[in-house]
Amino acid sequence: MLVLTRKLGESIAIDDHIKIVVVQIKGKQVRLGIKAPKDTKIHREEVYSAIKDQNIAAADSHPSLLEGLSKE
Amino acid sequence: MKIDTDRFGVLEAKSSDLISFKEGILGFESLQKFIVLDPGDKTFILWLQSVEDPKVAFPILEPKFLRPDFSLTLAPFERQHLELETDQEIVAYCILTIPSNIEEISANLKAPLVINKIKRLGRQIVLQETKLEIRQNIYKELRLFLAQRPSFDQPEIPMAESISSSNLNSNVNGNGKKKEELEL
Repeated sequence: MLVLTRKLGESIAIDDHIKIVVVQIKGKQVRLGIKAPKDTKIHREEVYSAIKDQNIAAADSHPSLLEGLSKE
Repeated sequence: MKIDTDRFGVLEAKSSDLISFKEGILGFESLQKFIVLDPGDKTFILWLQSVEDPKVAFPILEPKFLRPDFSLTLAPFERQHLELETDQEIVAYCILTIPSNIEEISANLKAPLVINKIKRLGRQIVLQETKLEIRQNIYKELRLFLAQRPSFDQPEIPMAESISSSNLNSNVNGNGKKKEELEL
């Protein structure tokens, strides 16, 4: 992992078209601005954890639990 | 080829039925080969069964059944990964979670599975829209949908057929032939 130290207002450029800038530092929170091409997908990392957890829960499913769902 | 499954018994599938998830599915990264099957329970819910691990199968449902306005935006890297040439090659499914209380059945609308049905490649895509839930309760919508749809649509992509009697009260008898559909 590449680790860089930035001051308020400084940026990081990724792949020529993506820029991340430190917009604000307030106590323990860092506010980041991200400039990227329209199609770029940007997510908070927690989204991936939540999806992974939900996939694991989904894999516990069994078709017999659906009995009665399609009944009138 | 024969595929062992915990829920559906032994299945018969052609290698052309296989779908490759080159990066696996989040939480199951080591599993890359899957098939889609229909247990014949008329719920429109299909199952993405791992060919490599008999225990692993995900209930899936096309989002268009519950959300007719569902639309997918794919980034160039996602299109490339799926080797997509046209949008006609795409079929999308949401992974469902079916807890023991059926009224808590939920769909992951935020991260659908997107499959290139021609090239047989799949990927779980995380959509950018913030209003989509990872665990959206769909019980009422699903019941309404099923009540309004008397006939069963042809599934979008070819499926494996069950060949043995299974743990489920399926529509397949012992010697591998499909029984007549039972009226519920």
